[in-house]
Amino acid sequence: MQLARAIAIGLLLAGTSLALADDRSEVSTSLFEEKRAGDKGGLTVVHPQADVGFDLGRYVSIDAGYAADAVSGATATTYQVDAVSSATRFSDLRQEGTLALGFRGRRSTITFNAGFGTERDYLSHSLGGTASIDLPGRNTTVALAYTHSFDDVCDHDNGNAMPLERHALIGAEPCLKSGGFFGKDDPGTTRWHDISIDTAQTTLTQNLSPTMNMQLALFGQIENGFLSNPYRRVNVGGVTAQEHIPDERARWSLTARVNRFLPKVHGAVHFSGRFYDDTWRVIGGDVELAYSQYIGSSLLLKIHARVYQQSAAKFFKDAFFYQNESTAGAYFTGDRELSPVRTGLFGAKLTLINVAGDKPVWHLFDRLEFNLKGDVLILDQLPADSTLDNPAGISNQFLYGNGLLDAVILQLGLLGSY
Amino acid sequence: MDSRFFSKLALLVSLAASQGACGRQAVRASEKQFLANQVMVFDNDPHETESDQHVLTNREGAAGGHGAGGGGCGCN
Repeated sequence: MQLARAIAIGLLLAGTSLALADDRSEVSTSLFEEKRAGDKGGLTVVHPQADVGFDLGRYVSIDAGYAADAVSGATATTYQVDAVSSATRFSDLRQEGTLALGFRGRRSTITFNAGFGTERDYLSHSLGGTASIDLPGRNTTVALAYTHSFDDVCDHDNGNAMPLERHALIGAEPCLKSGGFFGKDDPGTTRWHDISIDTAQTTLTQNLSPTMNMQLALFGQIENGFLSNPYRRVNVGGVTAQEHIPDERARWSLTARVNRFLPKVHGAVHFSGRFYDDTWRVIGGDVELAYSQYIGSSLLLKIHARVYQQSAAKFFKDAFFYQNESTAGAYFTGDRELSPVRTGLFGAKLTLINVAGDKPVWHLFDRLEFNLKGDVLILDQLPADSTLDNPAGISNQFLYGNGLLDAVILQLGLLGSY
Repeated sequence: MDSRFFSKLALLVSLAASQGACGRQAVRASEKQFLANQVMVFDNDPHETESDQHVLTNREGAAGGHGAGGGGCGCN
């Protein structure tokens, strides 16, 4: 389910980064390890990526990319007061490919993107484009990006059952595909639902002084279709039914980022702030501070810290209230992304820079960077409803870890230009 | 504070930025040595950006809106 959002946002990023593509390639792998309560272990995600970009003549660039997610670990079968004791193990493989064709003028670029993603229960087909232009003076860059995704999600065939009568999809049920690219229903067992996602972003990047620049980004997205997690169950008044949430969501956000170079120490400070709002009344925001420091001519160290907080979706309830007060006829969800939560992210990145002299690095590259990055993530779940009226509490309704650090993220990468 | 307040705030910030962008030339070409440095380029490492966003959008409801690559010397 996360694939669609990842591809839509990834295509925006891919399109806007093609201006950097100039004959460069990058390979990297990241490892995400999250603690989870219970005896089923944590959650592990291995995320390899590879991209290659090169110029076809003076005005045309082409970029191809591949990424995968190998996911394994514990998951909760039912959102209820005690989700921990019913946890099970699962594994999945997601793969996606992207292709971008860019045209570059003296002061402008236009890029067309296409993407395809596949996993057992989800298919994503995306098309998009990005245009950017430097305004006179070359101190201001304006970019506009748009992506449309035509997606399909596999579900248990619930026919015309009412929400509280619907069964969740289980891993043993087949999700058939036609030619590997389109979903194929298996009447009485599984069926595919359509999801349409429109994503747009406009960005203004401005040089403010010889040592300072800033960026403003306005982002919007509309999702339409079956947006529930087909596997997720919710205990509603003693009945275990498939999650049921609205089939449309519109979201927007505004981000401001500032970089300031410090010539005397050969370093830079970075600030980022974002406000987010959507039609499910999830309101959130984050602030990030970072500092980059060159150590000699070939080492670059960057440290960063980020804090984030969001409110709950208007239909989200702590599990005790779904379980004991019911919500017949209304929406119900066990998605922890729709719960009130705050996170902290802290980490560092070390870059080893190797610039070619008389001979190319490794006989190929004009410049080669080796990146090593490590982050720790702290998740803090907050109550959505009155704690005084909730004798069961919220500590076991999700599979969060109970330690100080909830997750560790490691990334290794090679970035070369030739 | 409701979303209308933030909508107005977003509009005001955008207008202010546009005014700044359309003003006098802020930085001459000969003064862009530091702006061209890789630490001043937004999202200089696309994989790092994509990987970070991938982790966060899987754990937070507020997805998207990170921004775009580029900047630095201000030349496409």
